[in-house]
Amino acid sequence: MQITEIFSSQLPVGEKLTIKKGRFEPKERKPDTKRISIVSGTHGDELEGQYVIYLLSKWLNENPDTISGIVDLYPAVNALGIDTITRGFPIYEVDLNRAFPGSKHDYLPGQLVHALAEDVKGSDIAIDIHSSNIFLKEIPQIRINKEFSPSTLPLAKKLNCDFIWIHDAVTVLEATFSHTMNEMGTKTLVVEMGVGMTLTQVYGKQLLSGILNLMKSEGIISTDEEFEQREPFSSEVGDVFYINSPSAGLFVQSITHCAIIKKGDVIGTIVDPLSGKIHDTLYAPSGGILFTLREFPVVYEGSLIARIFGESHENN
Amino acid sequence: MKTIEILRIDSLNRSPLIVEGYLFEGSDPTAPSVAIVGAMEGETILPLYTASKLVDFLRHSLDDESKIVGNILVIPSVNHYALNINQRFWPLDKTDINTMFPGYGEGETTQRIAKKLFDALQGYTHGIILETREGISTCIPYIKLFESGYEDLKSAKKFGYRLIHHKSLRPTDTVSLQYNWQLWGTKAYSIICPSDTNIDLNTSNEVFDGIVNFLSKNKIIQYKVLSGYESTIVKNRDIEIIKTSKSGIFIPTKKIGTTIKKDEMIGKVIHALEGKVTHRIFSPCDGLIACAYKNGLIFENAVAFRVIKSG
Repeated sequence: MQITEIFSSQLPVGEKLTIKKGRFEPKERKPDTKRISIVSGTHGDELEGQYVIYLLSKWLNENPDTISGIVDLYPAVNALGIDTITRGFPIYEVDLNRAFPGSKHDYLPGQLVHALAEDVKGSDIAIDIHSSNIFLKEIPQIRINKEFSPSTLPLAKKLNCDFIWIHDAVTVLEATFSHTMNEMGTKTLVVEMGVGMTLTQVYGKQLLSGILNLMKSEGIISTDEEFEQREPFSSEVGDVFYINSPSAGLFVQSITHCAIIKKGDVIGTIVDPLSGKIHDTLYAPSGGILFTLREFPVVYEGSLIARIFGESHENN
Repeated sequence: MKTIEILRIDSLNRSPLIVEGYLFEGSDPTAPSVAIVGAMEGETILPLYTASKLVDFLRHSLDDESKIVGNILVIPSVNHYALNINQRFWPLDKTDINTMFPGYGEGETTQRIAKKLFDALQGYTHGIILETREGISTCIPYIKLFESGYEDLKSAKKFGYRLIHHKSLRPTDTVSLQYNWQLWGTKAYSIICPSDTNIDLNTSNEVFDGIVNFLSKNKIIQYKVLSGYESTIVKNRDIEIIKTSKSGIFIPTKKIGTTIKKDEMIGKVIHALEGKVTHRIFSPCDGLIACAYKNGLIFENAVAFRVIKSG
C-alpha cells in the first residue's frame, strides 16, 4: 500500500496537519480498471469508519493477489477533530460535511474539503462512512438522495446493510461530500451506523463484508470467497416515523436497539432525577423496525429519541 | 412598550430559556414595521449589545411616544444558553439556530426554536438580523444580502454603512433566517458586526447609528439623524482574498477599516518558537481592509485579510 498526503497545513506551533490516503492497486492496470474510494472521519466524533477502514486495509494486506482495482482509503478527513474529540473542524467550528465543494481560495476547512473532492474525483464508486453522532445509535444503513438513486441504489443493496433510506433532495445537503461527488460522476453512498465516539465491532465487520461483496461484484477484487449480502429494508416500501422528546429530562431506554416493535410498545421514559417523577412515557407510533435510538440521555423538548421504519399506511 | 414571550424551552438542570421580544407599537398602523433579531449565537456580544441599546433608546431617548410611527419588535437574544457559557452554538448538540429556518414545530430542539421565532417574525415590512461572520475573522460593520431574487439593495443603502456585500447564495444559506424571511415577504437584511468579544464604543455606535438611520429614513421613527455613507455594493469578484503562506503568530499591521495601497505591508507572521519574521503580507491591490483574521495564531494558507478592491 502506498500512503500519500492529499492535504497538509503547517499549524502555528511546531505541528503539521496532514490528511492521508492509503492506496492499494493491482500489479497491472488496465484501461477499465475500476477505482473505489472509502472515506471516513469527516466528523471528528465519528470513529466507526476508522475501524471499517482498518479491517479493509488488513484484509487487503492479507489478500494482495485478489486486488484487481484501485482502492483508496481516507480514514480521517477531519484528522484534527478526531484526535481532539471535536465534531467540526477545530477552532473554525465548521461542519466539514456542509462545506463542500470548497475551493483553493476558501477558508481552511473549505480548502481541505476541496482537496478531498479533487482527490476522490475520478473514482467509480465512493463510500462515505458516518456513525451518527454521540446522541444516537443507528443500525447499519445507507442514505441515498432520490436524485441519484437510479445509479446508487443497486450498489447500496450489495453493502450488507439492514436499511436503505432514500430521501428527497434537500438544497442544504448539496454542500455534502456525497452530493458533490455524485455531481462529479462518482457514484457515492453514505453509510450511517453505530454511535459517535465508540466502535461497534459487530457493525464494522458487517460493513466490511458488504464492502468486499460490492468490490467483488464490481471487479475491484477477484476472489472465490463469498461475502454476506443481507436483504435490506428499503424506505421505498414504508414510512419513517420520528419520536422526539416532548419534554426536558433524562431519557431512560425501555427497549433494545434494533428491535422489531409493535405499535404502542414503550420506547422509554423521560424522568426527572430531582423529583423522582416520570415526565413522559414514549410509545411507538407504528409497528416496524426501530433503527435509531437515543444513546445520550440528556434531552430537551424536541431531542430525537428514536426512528422507526414501519408500514406506510400507518402515518405519523 | 410591551414585553412578549416569543418562546420558552425547559432544561433538565438550567433555568428555562425564555426568549422575550420588546414590542413598541407605532402611532400609525399603516406605517412600515420592523423586527430586529439580536444574538442567535453565543459569542455575539455586539449584536446583543446593539439590540439591547436599541430597546433602551426606543424607551427613553425619543421624547414623545408618537415619534415611534411604525411597529418595532426587538428580540435582543435568542440563545441565552450559549451566551451564558461562551459557546457559539446551541450548547447540547452544537447546532446553529441560523441554519434551522423556517423551522419545524415537530422537529429537533433548535428547529422548534427557529419555528417559534419565525412565527413571531411574520408580517413585518422589514427584518434586521444582527450577526457576526462565520470563521475566525472580524470585520467592519456591513450589510450582507444574498443574491436570492428577493433582496432589496436600494433599501439596504438606508443603513448608511460603507459596504453592502451582495453575496452569491450557497446551499447552506437556504436555511438561514435572512433567506427564509425574504421568501415569506419581509425585506430582510443581515448586519454583520465585528466579532470582538469586548465592546468597542466607536464600532458599536456605528452599528447602532446605522439602524437608527434605517428606521428614520423609512419613517418608522421620527428622529433626526446625520447621514451615513453612500454604501458601496460589493460582489464576490470585488474582494481580494489574501492568505498567509506561513503559519505562526499573526500580527496585523493595519487595522480593519483602513484604506491601503498596493504593495503596502499589512501584516506579518512570526515563527512561533524562534521569533523571526517568516512572512510579510503585502496588499496586492489598492483598497479597503474589510475583514481580518482575528486570532493571534494563524494556520498556513488561512485567509488573513479580505480587501475590497478600489481603483
